[in-house]
Amino acid sequence: MINKSYNAPGEDELVKASLNGDKNAFGEIVNRYQKMVARTVKGMLGDSVFAEDIGQEVFIKLYYSLSEFRGEAKLSTYIQRIAVNLTLNEIKRRKRFLSLFSQKANNEMYEFEIADQDIEVRKEASEMVNKALLAMAPKFRVIVTMRMLQGYSTKETAEILDLPIGTVLSRLSRAQEQLRNILEKL
Amino acid sequence: MNTSEIKKLMISSLNEDADTVEVSGKLRDEGISYQFSHTFGDKVLNKLFSAGIAVTREVEFVKYMNFAFYRIALTGVAAIVILLISIFLMQGSLSFNSFLGLSDNYDESIVCLLTGN
Repeated sequence: MINKSYNAPGEDELVKASLNGDKNAFGEIVNRYQKMVARTVKGMLGDSVFAEDIGQEVFIKLYYSLSEFRGEAKLSTYIQRIAVNLTLNEIKRRKRFLSLFSQKANNEMYEFEIADQDIEVRKEASEMVNKALLAMAPKFRVIVTMRMLQGYSTKETAEILDLPIGTVLSRLSRAQEQLRNILEKL
Repeated sequence: MNTSEIKKLMISSLNEDADTVEVSGKLRDEGISYQFSHTFGDKVLNKLFSAGIAVTREVEFVKYMNFAFYRIALTGVAAIVILLISIFLMQGSLSFNSFLGLSDNYDESIVCLLTGN
């Protein structure tokens, strides 16, 4: 169980304590950052139990790589990088698996049909956002998730994705175009 | 906020000079938020500090084995089909003899070949 009464120590203290095997300290890290990870993972994979599994993997990977964390970037940036990498890997894995059975999975754009019976569902904002995100190509989806759901600036997005700012700006513009096209259909 | 306003907000969040913190806050106010289950933290800690981690790795291994199996099985089936077609084209039939490459030979000629007489 996570000890909820853990006093609010700084990131460094939590990392050091976790490295020394303090279960409660790592529990506090999980508590602090799980919403942020949920936005990234669920934003990119959709709201499913698989997304929760990836979320758990993020923190497990974090635990085993804490010794490599040197404190040069914020802990949140480090966690975001793990979350983005694991989620993109999962998207690639699914795409590879689907490509064994269908050519459609190889398409850059994840086209989908909007059935008439979905009209009611479309009215719900979160459902619409989910559909729009899942219809986007992964490299744009991650940019939209970082900006729209996490509220990161261009610079922060570039830092997390380990991309030059110019690349992020170019993808932002293309992502905006793709998002506009998708939202027109919804 | 109606649907079209949310759409505009989503699109504007990708403007270079957008106030992304404000946009993400507004979207959260509209109920667009993502959370894990309330037992998420406990599940992570259980996986890390109990035997659960072994199970996770085992599941991962099975997942990758499944994927590898599909690839190998599909490649194998494709190879068998190509082999059958090439045998049929070369030998003109798919009999047991044609598999052994014996369709054009008589028993006597094999005996001659083996004994050298």
